[in-house]
Amino acid sequence: MIEVKNLVKRYGNHIAVNDLTFTVDTGKVVGFLGPNGAGKSTTMNMITGYIAQTEGTVLIDGIDMLEEPERAKEKIGYLPEIPPLYPDMRVREYLQFVADLRKVSKKERDLEIYEIMKKTKVLEVAERLIRHLSKGYKQRVGLSATMIGQPDILILDEPTVGLDPGQIIEIRELIRELSRDHTVLLSSHIMQEISAVCDEIIIINKGKMIACDTPENLTKRMLRNNGIKLQAKGERMQIDTALRNIPQITDIVYEKEEPEEGIVQMTVYTEKSEDVREAVFYAMAEISCPIMEMHTIDTTLEDAFLALTQGEAWQSDEPVTGQGREEDGEPVTGQEREEDGEPVTGQEREEDGEPEETDAGIAGTGKEDSQKEEVE
Amino acid sequence: MLAIYKKELMQYFHSMIGFVFLAFFLVIVGIYTWAYNLAGGLGNFEMTLDSIYFLFVLLIPILTMRIVAEENHQKTNQLLYTAPVSVTRIILAKYFAVLTLFLIGVGVISFYPLLLCQYGSDVRLASAYSSIIGFFLFGAACIAIGVFISSLTESQVIAAVVSFIVLLMTFLMSNITGMLPTDALTQCMILAFVWLLVSFIAYNIMQNIVVMAAIAVLGELAIWIVYFAKASLYESLVTNILNVLAISTRFDEFSLGILHYDAIVYYVSISALFVFLTIQMIKRKRFS
Repeated sequence: MIEVKNLVKRYGNHIAVNDLTFTVDTGKVVGFLGPNGAGKSTTMNMITGYIAQTEGTVLIDGIDMLEEPERAKEKIGYLPEIPPLYPDMRVREYLQFVADLRKVSKKERDLEIYEIMKKTKVLEVAERLIRHLSKGYKQRVGLSATMIGQPDILILDEPTVGLDPGQIIEIRELIRELSRDHTVLLSSHIMQEISAVCDEIIIINKGKMIACDTPENLTKRMLRNNGIKLQAKGERMQIDTALRNIPQITDIVYEKEEPEEGIVQMTVYTEKSEDVREAVFYAMAEISCPIMEMHTIDTTLEDAFLALTQGEAWQSDEPVTGQGREEDGEPVTGQEREEDGEPVTGQEREEDGEPEETDAGIAGTGKEDSQKEEVE
Repeated sequence: MLAIYKKELMQYFHSMIGFVFLAFFLVIVGIYTWAYNLAGGLGNFEMTLDSIYFLFVLLIPILTMRIVAEENHQKTNQLLYTAPVSVTRIILAKYFAVLTLFLIGVGVISFYPLLLCQYGSDVRLASAYSSIIGFFLFGAACIAIGVFISSLTESQVIAAVVSFIVLLMTFLMSNITGMLPTDALTQCMILAFVWLLVSFIAYNIMQNIVVMAAIAVLGELAIWIVYFAKASLYESLVTNILNVLAISTRFDEFSLGILHYDAIVYYVSISALFVFLTIQMIKRKRFS
């Protein structure tokens, strides 16, 4: 179990990690999510005792990292962002060195290394120099090293960064396998990875925790997760009137650009868990406007992540975590977004999104308020 | 601790630095031995060692430049510092690994006096071996300084260049101090200037102008009050202080064949001091 309490790291005037508190329970796989520079690696470096925190405590199974570093470090296997490999060593040599470093007894050492190499599929490169290995193999050797000495807790800092898709899947499988008998804290900025393997997600930005929840809940809590994307041939006014007659539809947002001549593109929002596709079909049929394209929008974890870290409207009945949003007052970025004029969650709100509306959304008012981007 | 020690030694021989060091060391010692003892017909091996200790200026930086700097650069220090091993043990293991490599070289040359014995009866083994012991201790102190400098940077090149300059300065120190005027006023002025310099550096680290200005002024006042009260105190004070730093002068006694207690303690404490400073430096870095 990892307990992090009020963790702060200051570099001069710059605050890299600002008052983080969270717990990773035994046997859980927790994803640590945030954009680059959010403080993920710094936090992990503090948990593993590589750097010391300015304030706060880190407890590993109840052992304080600063007070009894050696006992606490025994319980952790750490894979930093750049795997700490010695390029002029052979893979087996390196793993033996790590085993000796972690005080694995000589008798069990070779068997344990063999088992681990089999698991991480590095047996075929066991006698090669690390310098000559591909990035994927290096990553796997790094991962093997974290497992030596059978630590209960694995801390993996962006384990799949720089790998090709096939390797990413392999490593992910491996992590899932490891999660059966390890507590894993995993950082990434890749959503699929996190949603594929994690029981719980901690999202941090600018050193502060923004959210801490299960992947399902995070996506569920996202604003506007119900609706369809629609392209239909016809007059905009005509289509609008027809759609407004469908009672379940709460909002319609039109795209400014027409994908083709005479085709209107829009996003139709509905109440939760209502499927309006059939109703839309009949409505369009009635006014003889052929539907060119129609599909439901999936709010993914990706959207949730972008929304949270960039300050898009966040909707939730209760505060996300203890110290997430409320403390720092308003979570900035409504303005930031206008400045760089960058679309945030899907493209659908690009043009009609009036700034005031967005801000209202951010401030956490009801769904209805923030969705008034109706056609004039 | 043993794991790191073994790894370091292995890496020296993987990366050729170990072989290059030993080859270079033995070639130079060989040339001098040939010139002094064989060609020159001199039975005193201590004379040979006395004229080659300047080698340390070149050799020690090569030996120590990568020892910590390389780990900092490759980020492999993350493996070491997150392993259940204390920083003290890590640095001690590294220091002993370098020392072992040096000892291999010294071990080889310690056969030379015996070889010389085969060719003449004028070889004084006792003084030859006391100078070899001194040579080793002197090298150990230089290595400690090199390890410390290596821990300050991520770049091997910087570590090597700075170690080279520092060692050169300490070797030349006795010549420099010999040139300083020893009268009280000059010495006092040097001291006052150094104090200002120290305060300025301390200010850069602590960023607190009020405290540092106060300390600087108080220090200067103290220096000058003492000067006016009892100027004789300052006579050759700075020279004496600097002479302490002249690491190579202590070797003179060894090369005369004297196994002097003072010099042994001096070298051992220099080694211990710099190993300790290295450990503290690494610990401090984790908090900054």
